[in-house]
Amino acid sequence: MLKVGIPRALSYYRYFPFFKTLLEGLGTEVVLSRPTGKRLLEDGVRHCVDDICVPVKLFYGHVLELKDRVDRLFITRLVSVEKSDSDTYTCPKLIGLPDMIRSSVEGLPPVIEFVIDVQNRSLRSSTRRLGEALNASPSLIKKAFSRSLDVQARYDEKLLGGLTPEDAMEAVFSGNGSSDGVPAGSGDGPTPDLNIALIGHEYLLHDHFISHNLPGRLSRLGCDVEYITQVPPDVIESELARYPGISWSYEKELLGAASHFLHREDIDGVMLVVCFACGPDSIVGEIIEREVRTESSPPLTTLVLDEHTGQAGVATRVEAFVDLIRRSRGKP
Amino acid sequence: MKVSFPHMGNAYIALSALLSNLGAEVIVPPRPTRKTIEMGALHAPEFVCLPFKVNLGDNFQALSMGADTLAMVSGTWACRFGYYGRVQHQILRDAGYEFDSILLGRDGVGAVYNKFADTVDGNLALGWLRAYRSFGAKARAVDALESKAREIRPFERDAGATTAALSNSLSLVHDSGSVKATGSALDHGLELMDAVDVERKDEPLHIAVLGEIYAVLEPALNFDIERRLGDMGVMAHPVMTVYKWLFRPLKTDPSILFEERRARKVTRPYIAYVLGGEEHQTIAGTIDAARKGYDGVIHVFPFTCMPESVCRAILPQIEREYDIPVLNLCLDEHASPTGVETRLEAFTDLLRQRRRKKPRKPA
Repeated sequence: MLKVGIPRALSYYRYFPFFKTLLEGLGTEVVLSRPTGKRLLEDGVRHCVDDICVPVKLFYGHVLELKDRVDRLFITRLVSVEKSDSDTYTCPKLIGLPDMIRSSVEGLPPVIEFVIDVQNRSLRSSTRRLGEALNASPSLIKKAFSRSLDVQARYDEKLLGGLTPEDAMEAVFSGNGSSDGVPAGSGDGPTPDLNIALIGHEYLLHDHFISHNLPGRLSRLGCDVEYITQVPPDVIESELARYPGISWSYEKELLGAASHFLHREDIDGVMLVVCFACGPDSIVGEIIEREVRTESSPPLTTLVLDEHTGQAGVATRVEAFVDLIRRSRGKP
Repeated sequence: MKVSFPHMGNAYIALSALLSNLGAEVIVPPRPTRKTIEMGALHAPEFVCLPFKVNLGDNFQALSMGADTLAMVSGTWACRFGYYGRVQHQILRDAGYEFDSILLGRDGVGAVYNKFADTVDGNLALGWLRAYRSFGAKARAVDALESKAREIRPFERDAGATTAALSNSLSLVHDSGSVKATGSALDHGLELMDAVDVERKDEPLHIAVLGEIYAVLEPALNFDIERRLGDMGVMAHPVMTVYKWLFRPLKTDPSILFEERRARKVTRPYIAYVLGGEEHQTIAGTIDAARKGYDGVIHVFPFTCMPESVCRAILPQIEREYDIPVLNLCLDEHASPTGVETRLEAFTDLLRQRRRKKPRKPA
């Protein structure tokens, strides 16, 4: 069976159930790269341009980890990840990612490029091209496509219900594979007394190596974590109407979710997690701090992560944030 | 109305002409220095690109010089530049300044057009026409002078003579009033440049300078790379010029539009999608440099620039395919002139050695 490798990075966190169902439906075997580790990150950093954000470096690492054990490499070109009336894009680095990988990684297996441009309804056409590349019949493509949309819809529902991508995938695929890694937020901590909203890109928040298991850390400190993925798209859309438009599709979610959480009474604190050298976030973080936050908003902190961030640094800042919230409410 | 705008190379000459013909008093902040950059970096988001910090510093200086209106272009693009005006003006307001914003692109053409109804002398439409003509004349004059300086600098007998003549000529153009006066200022300026004493030397090295547009055009950011190269006896060929940058969005000059389209076409095999920056100029410019027989390419871009980071990953492939050396200069507020100088010297030494082994093919 043809082995197709999917890097466990970037679009994996949002679309993996769709990719997996689709590729398996088209008669291929899906191979996933190992969870991020030290070696993998170092390899990525070595092969990647120096001054780029860590998610792209991680993507390189995952590609390098996969390339010698698969027949095809599945790379997504994320052009836009949300439906909108106006033009939206992701960051230029994500749009140009397949080009970067092709130019700078040697010994790649043949690359299958999958374009995700949600606003231009590219899913169907990308699926058709993918099916043709794999010599699948039109009826098989159609069947696989509709099944993958179903699986993806179930997955999105689980995310909306508050599961992490990992748990949601496990629930969707009912325990067959793809569940390795540290489970986040499993209740071994004290009874939660604080509600902390975590906003940031899912490929950063849920990569436990690079985020130093931030969600788990928060729950051990007695916090209930609300994820950005729990904010329904229509809420984000209505929140966004309060601000002048922006055109980055990932950041629209950030801005909408930040506005939602910063205006909610039952949220005790908001953590904005960004990676160093992230282009759009440098602007949107500033917009959130200056345009969204008000006097009555819950405390907001920004946590900047990169490949050099030490675990102790993250731990100290998270603890300090939580302690300060507790102190300010007189809950020692 | 005392209006100001951030610097970008010598664009201030044409932009001042535009605004002063509309009856506004133009406040031109001093050319950006390290101090400007520090001031901007202090208030800007930590890892925003360097042009943001320089522009913000310019705005701080303009406001302290009494400006009451700040102009900036704005748009919702994939590149951060579209958000500069919005975020910078908010930062300045939070810092306690009060001023009026002109965000060209977001405010709409009509709003910007009518903004000058009270200040303009006489009819508004005629004022805009006059402003546009003066703007175009000065932009072209600056362009002519800059390219003249580029041609003679590697051959000058007295070090610095060209730079001095250029700066005198530019102030002649800047001070000229009517379109006719701009024309004679340009003629006078060109005479000044012709008076620079030159000597015949061997064929100089030819290096294309390309990358992120502000990094290519703003001497404060790139440590005046064009002059530095010229002083080293190297002929610099910037791919972008202030004139092209000013006139590209106006879509009035067919040759610029044609060049844009061609660059996009050449870039497509390497970057299949439009990234929203200058990536096509970078990729196509490097290929063109190889085809024209230049000795090398210098790729300058600000740290964390998104489209140019993609180019940075792709350029090594073009370097191999077209056999042209590329020097990548990634600059931020911590870059030092000595560091840049050293790298330029090493690069040009390398190119000279290469030339000895492999004589330059005729262009």
